[in-house]
Amino acid sequence: MTTLLYKELRLAVHPSSLVFSFLGCLVLVPAYPYSAIFMFGCLATYTTFSNSREVNDAWYTAILPVTKGESVLAKCLLITGFQLFQLLFSVPFAFLRNTLNIANNPVGLDATAAWYGFGLILYAVFDLLFLTSFYKNGYQAGKSFILGAIPMALLMVAIEAAAYIPAFSWMDSCKPEDLIKQMPILAIGLVCYGVIGTLAYRTAAKRFEKVDL
Amino acid sequence: MEAVLSVQNITKHYPGFALENISFSLAPKRIMGLIGKNGAGKSTTLKSILNMVSPEKGSVAMFQKNFYQHEKECKQRIGVVFGGIDFYPLKKLSAITAVTRKFYTNWDQVQYQKYVKRFALEEDKKFKELSNGMKVKYLLALALSHHAELLILDEPTSGLDPVSREELLHIFRQIVKTENCSILFSTHITSDLDRCTDDITYMQKGRVLQSADRDTFLRSFAHLKTPQDTGPLTLEEIMLRTERSAWDDDIIV
Repeated sequence: MTTLLYKELRLAVHPSSLVFSFLGCLVLVPAYPYSAIFMFGCLATYTTFSNSREVNDAWYTAILPVTKGESVLAKCLLITGFQLFQLLFSVPFAFLRNTLNIANNPVGLDATAAWYGFGLILYAVFDLLFLTSFYKNGYQAGKSFILGAIPMALLMVAIEAAAYIPAFSWMDSCKPEDLIKQMPILAIGLVCYGVIGTLAYRTAAKRFEKVDL
Repeated sequence: MEAVLSVQNITKHYPGFALENISFSLAPKRIMGLIGKNGAGKSTTLKSILNMVSPEKGSVAMFQKNFYQHEKECKQRIGVVFGGIDFYPLKKLSAITAVTRKFYTNWDQVQYQKYVKRFALEEDKKFKELSNGMKVKYLLALALSHHAELLILDEPTSGLDPVSREELLHIFRQIVKTENCSILFSTHITSDLDRCTDDITYMQKGRVLQSADRDTFLRSFAHLKTPQDTGPLTLEEIMLRTERSAWDDDIIV
């Protein structure tokens, strides 16, 4: 699998996907809808798959000593890597924001534990829809992105809207007592990401087995 | 001698086209040409052999092993070249090689360098900068550098000028002579077969019309001869007369 991931990074990945993964640093911007960071993560998935299609990556992989299932797993692990890297990369910037005493984000939700939890849920939903749709035929990256982008946009709006609802103000707070209250959301996000991600991979691999290249 | 490749009853249906019970086998150190006009099912057959297309029925034995059950193991011992497809066009050959070599347990870098030199490949060039002939040569170099025992080549000579075609066919003959290797290649250019094949499999409308060694193959189409034919029929004449009679059948229907 490491060899396949090496192939993905060296030959198949579009450079913009790597740039999108570093955009977790945007949580340092004083006023910004941070959920847009998740959209960049979803775009990284789209550019990766559309670039792979353009360079005939699936054909090349098919002649290598790997199975179709392994090629799907490599792509799933690659986008998981991008998404988790993006979120982890943003963490020091979220801390730095507090250290610098930057005021609460006036646009929407701050980069709180709840925000990370919601982000993981958003990624899980997007990946499920995108991967299972793409691997129906192995080439419709645009259609799959639109399919995943609809719930992605709705979730982004919901996440940002939480900051404007007084009852949910604790989700927008970085006070230790509020952060503790947000931990279950983060935990649910992690579980969703793991479970739905596994389901997405299994369904996608099953579908790709039936695809004729 | 045991066949390196044995295809049995491969069947696959598409709307308006079907592969029906495709069967043939290839012995070690032989070159087999898979011929047929465009749309006869040659590429689909090769893709079915490689599990890129899932056949509804049939089996593929490679090196006496069920290919579909031992896919990774078998693929370690074969090389595949698809003519006319650009892989990673913006990547340098050195980058593609660096990745490809990691997949093969018996990659031989000395052998690779030997073929790079022999085929006059420039590793600093991007894949898209190569001519069609050089692309096929590069993919052949990759295949031969892990000591492939079977080369499966889909239309490797299509789109090449006569000189490049002749050169490639010469390379095929040399590979079979010097390496422990068999070659199965599809083509619709019958003159390719005149120059280098030991066996011929002729496909028409998704079926194998004949699969045999060259002499048997030529004899089996003797019925197509006319009183004006003094010598044996060429492969081109066999193909043209067979396809013409198929057109006549279509008109009658």
